[in-house]
Amino acid sequence: MRRVVGPLLAVTVALVLADSAVVTLALPDILQQLDASVTQVAWVLISFNLVLGLFAVPTAMGLVRAQPRVFAAVGIAVFAGASAWCAGAGSIDVLIAARCVQAIGGALALVGCLELMVADWGERRGVTAWVAAGVVGTAAGPVAGGLLTEAFSWEAIFVVQVPFAVLAVPAALAVRTVPDLTPDRHRPALRPNLTLALLSAALTAALFLLVLLLVEGWSRSPATAALTVSVVPVAALASRPVARLLRPSPEVEVAVGCFLVAGGLAGLALPPSAHLAWTVAPQALVGLGLGLTVDRLTAQAMELRLPRARHAGWTIGARHLGVVVGLVILTPVFTADLRDAEVPAQEAITALVIDAPLKAEDKIALAKGLGEELTQQEGQIPDLHRAFAALDLDAEDRAAAAELERDLDSQLERAATRAFRDSFLIGAGLALVALLTVVAPRRRRVP
Amino acid sequence: MSRPGSAGSVGMAAVSLALVGGVLAVQLANGGGSFEPLRTADPCLVREVTSQSDGIDGLTERLVLIGVDEAACELGVSREALTLELGQGGERTDEEIEALHHGLTAAVGRMEDDGSLPPASELVDEALDNADLNRFLVIAIRALPDDVVDAALKTDDVLVRAIDDLDLREILADLDDQESLNAQVEAAVTQAVKDSLRDRLTDLL
Repeated sequence: MRRVVGPLLAVTVALVLADSAVVTLALPDILQQLDASVTQVAWVLISFNLVLGLFAVPTAMGLVRAQPRVFAAVGIAVFAGASAWCAGAGSIDVLIAARCVQAIGGALALVGCLELMVADWGERRGVTAWVAAGVVGTAAGPVAGGLLTEAFSWEAIFVVQVPFAVLAVPAALAVRTVPDLTPDRHRPALRPNLTLALLSAALTAALFLLVLLLVEGWSRSPATAALTVSVVPVAALASRPVARLLRPSPEVEVAVGCFLVAGGLAGLALPPSAHLAWTVAPQALVGLGLGLTVDRLTAQAMELRLPRARHAGWTIGARHLGVVVGLVILTPVFTADLRDAEVPAQEAITALVIDAPLKAEDKIALAKGLGEELTQQEGQIPDLHRAFAALDLDAEDRAAAAELERDLDSQLERAATRAFRDSFLIGAGLALVALLTVVAPRRRRVP
Repeated sequence: MSRPGSAGSVGMAAVSLALVGGVLAVQLANGGGSFEPLRTADPCLVREVTSQSDGIDGLTERLVLIGVDEAACELGVSREALTLELGQGGERTDEEIEALHHGLTAAVGRMEDDGSLPPASELVDEALDNADLNRFLVIAIRALPDDVVDAALKTDDVLVRAIDDLDLREILADLDDQESLNAQVEAAVTQAVKDSLRDRLTDLL
């Protein structure tokens, strides 16, 4: 039991932080099954991050009054129960409420697990493992969520969390600790927490918008999207050897990380086509940036600051409120851009249908079918295939119709890509602001 | 373990600049930034119009396509925007009706000028197939030599008369009703043929 305690707690930390973005790839399914709007499904992400961000510090303050193991165990149990509730949610409102409870349990679990991991592994190793588990969870969340959605359903994302969490409860109770009664000696580290918040807001564009673009805009399956965005966690893992090789100063490492995230998001704003390969290099930049910044900033914000849990709470708050800021800024921008993209897309489709080498009566029948699909789109990318499937074409016209369908799908991809451009560029701008907080000169202390 | 050094920092910054610059340069060099929906063409520029259909269907399609282009040019909107607008059905404005009427009439003139308007004799057989006429009259008309038909009926004249006869407002109000559309067009064309023949006879007399 003793051997698995630390890893189980680390997995719990990764699970809680993965939940920040784990449902991203499931959002289209949730949107359809729970009959929700785009704004409502965005709240499935916002609610969790908002509650976790707001509760992290008060939760850490409450840790002095309780046994960390009891604290962590209760948090993990609440997280597990709320995950099961999420899986059984029959409406979008219930799902959002369950996500809020899940975040409260998650906040308790995160700060509790930090104390337990330090007790189990020692200060340095425990904090490092806690930070690393968080980075892995954040980066791998969308990938895991996408694969589970494709293999089973969106509910599976929450179901699989339950057994891990249930196992972690006895693991938490097995660690002997005492409440950390260290007085509040240090102020929160403003600069790394601010950078962390801005960077988290920027990373939202990569972790949230990219998967939406792949699934909704480019009509890729959640599994394909999951495999595609796995570039981010892989590159994040590769960033450590790069940093060890070049050994830059911590400030330069963070500044470079911010710059890479900004460059990667700018690259995602400018793909030459809807081929998945064009997202790989920009994602690699984002992943490298993520790997160079998040754990380094978290460590800087906690380094030599006591009580440890409270400063960990500040980092959790900064990260998740940053995600909320990112979602609050980006969601209205891209939903408005998606609406604005409808007219150019419809006109492009009309032009191609008018000029298509098909018989007049086939064009009229197709135009009627396409018109129905386009009027039913309601802010989503329409499925034009139904209009083509309903056509009764002569054999010699089928090749031209198939080519027209490909061309029309390409126009939709172009319109969606254009609609996401501004949001990716805003994300890049947020990463550059994060960079400014790193390179801005420090205030000199008056002797 | 050596301490972090400025060389490492400079190296890291240089690598990141090269990576970001390289990725963005490759994206832009391959058309990144211009992956956007097709832009609509200026309807006032003459574009080549083709049709996969033959006979009257092909002629009608080309006529409508050129007519919509001309109307869109007059209204100051794209051909696609006007098509989408008209496709929605409902009440049309006087400006739209007038622009469409002008556009269709101008289309006849353009097709006549570029020689793409077929002579009446090429359309007679198909028109008779679709017309609800006395069988003996159909046989009699079919027996006429092409020269006589072409001398008696000018395609452009018949089309312009038919366009004038058509109630565009009523047609556009319910484009989904194909039967009603066909009936209105057929009635307008039949009337145009009669009027054209009558005027020609009057001229001859």
